[in-house]
Amino acid sequence: MITGQKFVEGKGTYVDDINLPGMLYMAIVRSPYSRAKIASLKGGLNSSDYEGRMASVGEGGSGEINIYSEPVFAQGYTSYLGQPVAAVFGEDRYKAEDLLNSVDVEYEPLKPVMEIDAALKADPIHPGTKNNILIDKWVGKEFKDTSSPIVLEDSFYNRRVATNPMEPRGVVATYDGNRLTMWASSQSSQSIKEGLVEAMNLSPDSVRVIQADTGGGFGLKGGLHPEYVIAAHAAMKYKRPVKWIETRSEHLSSSNPGRGARADIKIFAGKNGIINGVTGEVYVDAGAYGGFGEFAPRFIAYQLTGPYAIPNGYVRAIATLTNKVPQGPYRGAGRPEASYFIERMVDLLADELKMDPADVRIANMSSEPFKSPLGLEIGAAKPFFQDALKEFEYGKRFTSDTAGLGFFVLVPGIGPGEGARIKIEKGRVKVWLGGDTAGQGHQEFVRTLIREELGIASDLVELQLGDTDAVKRGVGAWGSRSAITAGAAVIAASGKIKDMVIKDFGDYSPENALSGSYDIDHFEEMKGTLNSFGANIAVADVSPLGAIRVKDCWSYYDVGRVLSKESVWGQIMGGIVQGIGQVVSEEIAYSDEGELLTGSIADSGVLSADQVPNFVVKVAENRSDLPHGVKGLGEAPTIGVPSALVRSIEKVTGKRIRDTPVRPEDIAEDF
Amino acid sequence: MGKIKVRVKINGKERSDEVEPRMLLAHYLRDVVGATGTHIGCDTSNCGACTVVMDGKAVKSCTVLVGQANGREIKTVEGLSQNGKLSKIQKAFLDKHGLQCGYCTSGMLMASYWLLKKNKKPTEEEIRRNLSGNLCRCTGYQNIVEAVKYASELIEKEGEEEEVVVESQ
Ligand code: FES
Ligand code: FES
Repeated sequence: MITGQKFVEGKGTYVDDINLPGMLYMAIVRSPYSRAKIASLKGGLNSSDYEGRMASVGEGGSGEINIYSEPVFAQGYTSYLGQPVAAVFGEDRYKAEDLLNSVDVEYEPLKPVMEIDAALKADPIHPGTKNNILIDKWVGKEFKDTSSPIVLEDSFYNRRVATNPMEPRGVVATYDGNRLTMWASSQSSQSIKEGLVEAMNLSPDSVRVIQADTGGGFGLKGGLHPEYVIAAHAAMKYKRPVKWIETRSEHLSSSNPGRGARADIKIFAGKNGIINGVTGEVYVDAGAYGGFGEFAPRFIAYQLTGPYAIPNGYVRAIATLTNKVPQGPYRGAGRPEASYFIERMVDLLADELKMDPADVRIANMSSEPFKSPLGLEIGAAKPFFQDALKEFEYGKRFTSDTAGLGFFVLVPGIGPGEGARIKIEKGRVKVWLGGDTAGQGHQEFVRTLIREELGIASDLVELQLGDTDAVKRGVGAWGSRSAITAGAAVIAASGKIKDMVIKDFGDYSPENALSGSYDIDHFEEMKGTLNSFGANIAVADVSPLGAIRVKDCWSYYDVGRVLSKESVWGQIMGGIVQGIGQVVSEEIAYSDEGELLTGSIADSGVLSADQVPNFVVKVAENRSDLPHGVKGLGEAPTIGVPSALVRSIEKVTGKRIRDTPVRPEDIAEDF
Repeated sequence: MGKIKVRVKINGKERSDEVEPRMLLAHYLRDVVGATGTHIGCDTSNCGACTVVMDGKAVKSCTVLVGQANGREIKTVEGLSQNGKLSKIQKAFLDKHGLQCGYCTSGMLMASYWLLKKNKKPTEEEIRRNLSGNLCRCTGYQNIVEAVKYASELIEKEGEEEEVVVESQ
């Protein structure tokens, strides 16, 4: 079948399309307050039935449960608007909704702590803890710079953004008395299983997680969520299958958004534009509980020199607890924030020195590989950037009067590798990967690699959905890692199959392979870095009232060898719109009192077709050292586009831009 | 809750069901009819994932109560291909890679199908404007716009497909 054919026929099987006999629908009673004491609670399934906490799994997860881990149900008090307080179960989705009224909760609202600065000063939001600091670490090495003639300081804020996959979260859980089976909309069935095992104290053999067709993930669907645990617990308790499908409103209040990072940065530079050092503080608004927020600030700090050869760096990485839904990974997950912060400083330096921003960038690039004082390893940046300027016809088609440049290094998440299983049977090939595709088109690179490695035609190769019973070990599809790691695993597994065919037949041929039965499940261990460069240029148009339209947005990314043109271009064009969205409209916002101001998908700023132009996409195909030559790319656009676009807005409005999204009041003409 | 009886023609096939009057057409199609190709992506009528064609006009089926569909003719994504043959708009979405995760796709197809019924040769701007009620988080829209243009070319070259009328059994 042609990839995608089932979707154009309406024959996909997303999790909400799975119906089991006797299935109950679950609805969740959620805290209407950002912070409240639960004075009394009657009805539904709640913390008196289930006291467990969440395990931190998936991208940036520690695999652990600690004092900051989110309880599955609020226990005695609520810490964010939308937090699960109780669950009800009905025979259909309408009845489940009706039953929400059967739960009696009396809240005593408390003053919520909504912002990073407030969190630093406020009493702890969780009783029994000392303060609201989730993590506070220094990255790099202390240095003194008294000789640089230019010292610039500024502060930036990437506000929170909803991941907003078009298919919200959802699971179906069922229990046969021995085993729990969960179907999920997923980027990592393996992580969800690991999370359930850890949080519910189950044996790994007794849990199976199967991926349903998945309508986008963007970071959200790689980990465990309280609703999954509740559905699993209820399926075991009631001995009936349980379905939970998130509504968009629930998504906006209660699923982990990304970004929510601020930085105060200082750079030391010479009059020639060379940056001698960078220091500062990175703050992540972790929300009410730990998890990704424990990892994010250090990950941002580590990348704070960007693609530049800055010899000194010392950065404090802090995450604070606030009364908001816990922060999570969103396409880029720390990479866009780091790039935004340093790119904004580089543009500031260009303005200070009245240099062209391209020249300041070049002044800080090495023609050799470079290891930053913060630990980031990069290749030779200068040749790539010079090519990018040529591709952009910089100085002719685009000039620094109106166009903004963004230059970045993409750090894909490689370790600890990935799993893949290849099964040949009855003349056909089935492949499973350790990470779950959520629309990126993994089937395309799998088919390319099987064709190249085993000589088997693509129409005989089917990528299967994620299934923890099918692949022994796997990681997940995030961090621009799948073609790199799952691709390497497919190649290694193919190699093993080849060896077996040779053993059976004396030599290898695709016909021999297809006439036999082979089944290899392989985990390819990988570590180290495989960083790559990318650049964007963008031009914005701003109305007198501050409405932003993107006129042009060009990309030039080093994606390594292209295994599937459609997937690469598709990833880039989709990511560009998310990058633009972060700048012009996307945000999850609350009032100081903790009311959610962005309750619909329109309010949260997802862009529609009439709000964006066509894009020009160019790629450099500089092969990596991997056998299949690939590099990471999925997150490139959300890293590169915001800095480029913000710079253009700054140039056309003449106003310094610090925060995303850029609000009309930041840039409207003064009347 | 009392039930009402509805008679609808879905993809050429008549049927009648007893349903709660508060039920949305989107849920009726998915949960009662079992036509799960129609998706739900929001609860504020913003996303268009639920778009179907009712009496020849594209509607968001999450904004229609099932009673309002009584006596009407509805076309869903499942009704686009005829006798196992993909329609031009479906073929165009596949050929131009107008989809990734596929979740918005049914709604995009139905909105595009309707657009091409009204306007055989829409401009790029008209396509973007007409699809502005359909959100896609994966594709960046460019390939969707290309797909609609391509479908329009196919229709110009080869003509529209015949609507196959399926009689009720
Ligand atoms: S589900 Fe109908 S518009 Fe979103
Ligand atoms: S293809 Fe995923 S939302 Fe459009």
